[in-house]
Amino acid sequence: MANLETQILDDVIVKSRRKMLSLSATAIAGLAVGGTSMANAAAAYTDADILNFALNLEYLEANFYYLAAFGTTIDKPNSASIAAGGPSAGIPITGSVGTAGTVSGGSKVPFVTIPVASYAIETAIEEGKHVLFLQSALGSAAVAQPAINLGTSWPGLATAAGVSGGAGFSPYASDATFLLGAYVFEDVGVTAYHGAASLLTSSSNLTAAAGIMAVEAYHAGLIRTTINYLDPTGGLGLVTATNQISALRAALAKAAAGSTANPYDTNPDDFGLATFSVSLAGATSVTATRLTDADATNVIAFSRSTTQVLNIVTGGGAINAGTGATISPATGVFFPAGLNAGPNGFK
Amino acid sequence: MDKLDKRLNNAFSRRSFFAGAGGMAAATLVAGCGGLSSTTMASGKYTDTDILNFALNLEYLEAQFYLYAATGKGLQTSDTTAGSASTYQTVGTVTPGSAAAVPGLTAAQQEIVNEIAYEEQEHVRFLRSALGTAAVPMPSIDLSFFGPLAVAAGITGPTFNPFASFDAFLIGSFIFEDVGVTAYSGAAGLISQAGVTAGYLNAAAGILAVEAYHAAYVRTSLTGRAIAAGSTSAYPYLGIANQVAALRAMLTVGASAAPGTTGSVETPLALPTSLTTASSIVAASPTNAVGFARTVNQVHHIVYGSPTVGVAKGGFFPNGTNSIFATTTA
Repeated sequence: MANLETQILDDVIVKSRRKMLSLSATAIAGLAVGGTSMANAAAAYTDADILNFALNLEYLEANFYYLAAFGTTIDKPNSASIAAGGPSAGIPITGSVGTAGTVSGGSKVPFVTIPVASYAIETAIEEGKHVLFLQSALGSAAVAQPAINLGTSWPGLATAAGVSGGAGFSPYASDATFLLGAYVFEDVGVTAYHGAASLLTSSSNLTAAAGIMAVEAYHAGLIRTTINYLDPTGGLGLVTATNQISALRAALAKAAAGSTANPYDTNPDDFGLATFSVSLAGATSVTATRLTDADATNVIAFSRSTTQVLNIVTGGGAINAGTGATISPATGVFFPAGLNAGPNGFK
Repeated sequence: MDKLDKRLNNAFSRRSFFAGAGGMAAATLVAGCGGLSSTTMASGKYTDTDILNFALNLEYLEAQFYLYAATGKGLQTSDTTAGSASTYQTVGTVTPGSAAAVPGLTAAQQEIVNEIAYEEQEHVRFLRSALGTAAVPMPSIDLSFFGPLAVAAGITGPTFNPFASFDAFLIGSFIFEDVGVTAYSGAAGLISQAGVTAGYLNAAAGILAVEAYHAAYVRTSLTGRAIAAGSTSAYPYLGIANQVAALRAMLTVGASAAPGTTGSVETPLALPTSLTTASSIVAASPTNAVGFARTVNQVHHIVYGSPTVGVAKGGFFPNGTNSIFATTTA
């Protein structure tokens, strides 16, 4: 795809980045210490604060997939969700911290293809289990479900991303639009758990977070693979839409980057499904898909700070665009009243 | 265990001399001066460098497999050399077996193989770069082990060759990717606090996520192609993948329950047959949907193709990994 000139440029960039990294542990340590000390200085948070942040995101994801797959929210199981392996009692949405909010919008997708329908069902059940797992791990410290907007949030988000026909966008309209809706969430889930991993102090919490991150990455890989299979040449417009969504996420993350940037961050920190050019075993460049959302040099998946994730899921609601100041609680798009959090939690 | 050992020994009879010799030698070694080894392990005297080097061994294997599949050639020599301060100085050789560029790929399939090959190649380069002079060289790698592995998994028919077709390639990839995910998950918790501060945990977690993206690609492709074919008999590769998962379970000492059952670290693939049945793309606990982890020993059992404790080499690594964890201790 790339012409020779851009390829040479790419190679130069790759080599110079690599050179920086070849300074090895010292360089990495230098980079990271800056980030970590800033993060530590910011707040006295606990593992519970971090897990509760994750729980807010899981409430969002689980409700999206439950609505798409079964037409119901997580607290109101129906015959379809129970038949698929979901709990018959419904997933609790009340917690010891914060007031349970309601979910607006969302409806069952009229799926026509077995792969997409079966993936939606699998993902719904798994995200529901993540909610239950985190509630159980947090015990009396678990936050309640925040207010969640899964209806009018979508056209606004799609318009902001520049997706064609964005003002009328609904992820519940078809198999294809559902995949784009899912695309919005999964890569973000990976970056959120990835960013949180280094902040956790308990090794059992770390192992659990790594395990959930892996599942989010499985979901993200699943979605990206399916979009690639559906629209291998981009003729259906899905590839363009993924590029636009990724670009919006990257812009929102960059606006909130601050001083807590992660050591392997690049800008942009997000890639859609457009192909890119790679060199294999020293040979001339060939074209490759981008089923993995990771930086092109070290191929380490991106990680984001809680503020970066908040800014994405609230559509810029975490950062004052004029002053760059952090807004708390961050509100907007999927979380109209912000997240539920403990006294020092992330919101 | 006896039955399993027997089955595996029969399956690996072609190389039983080497496997047996290696196992015995290792067992002798452990009996003779194993005290040192086990004391070292018990007191946690491994370093973050040891953990990253363990990962590097796996990345060498994955990169060779995918690069051969994409291009018919393996890693450049410059990506396999020993760091000057490494305990290991001998660069291994690759036994290619049937390794070759996978024939008959569509353009879209070729681009996907290219992507995974590139990403594993870059993982090798990243880890070597992060490790600097401490980077271990590539150990000897045997890409002809797929055949015996397939026999051990109970896969019948002609000698299994992952380079023969796109579907066979998916099976070859399947052997590695879920293992990569669980290896990094298991390793993440071993990294020291200093290593966390140094960014190693972030790097390991980031590579873990990439391995999960790859695993999802492989599992989604196998599932999607089975759905398109309409049945598991029309698309036998779904069942073959599950046989591989069952073999991995048998080799995973300490967590050898059948895939999908309590105590297992494997999730079998499923064939959704209607708009109301779930797929089984994600490999995770059926209870809480948290991804699995494997210990360094369990990962070695799989890549050596041996559940026997004390084995130091075999399978994909005919001379063992260049790692402090090379001899299984549990």
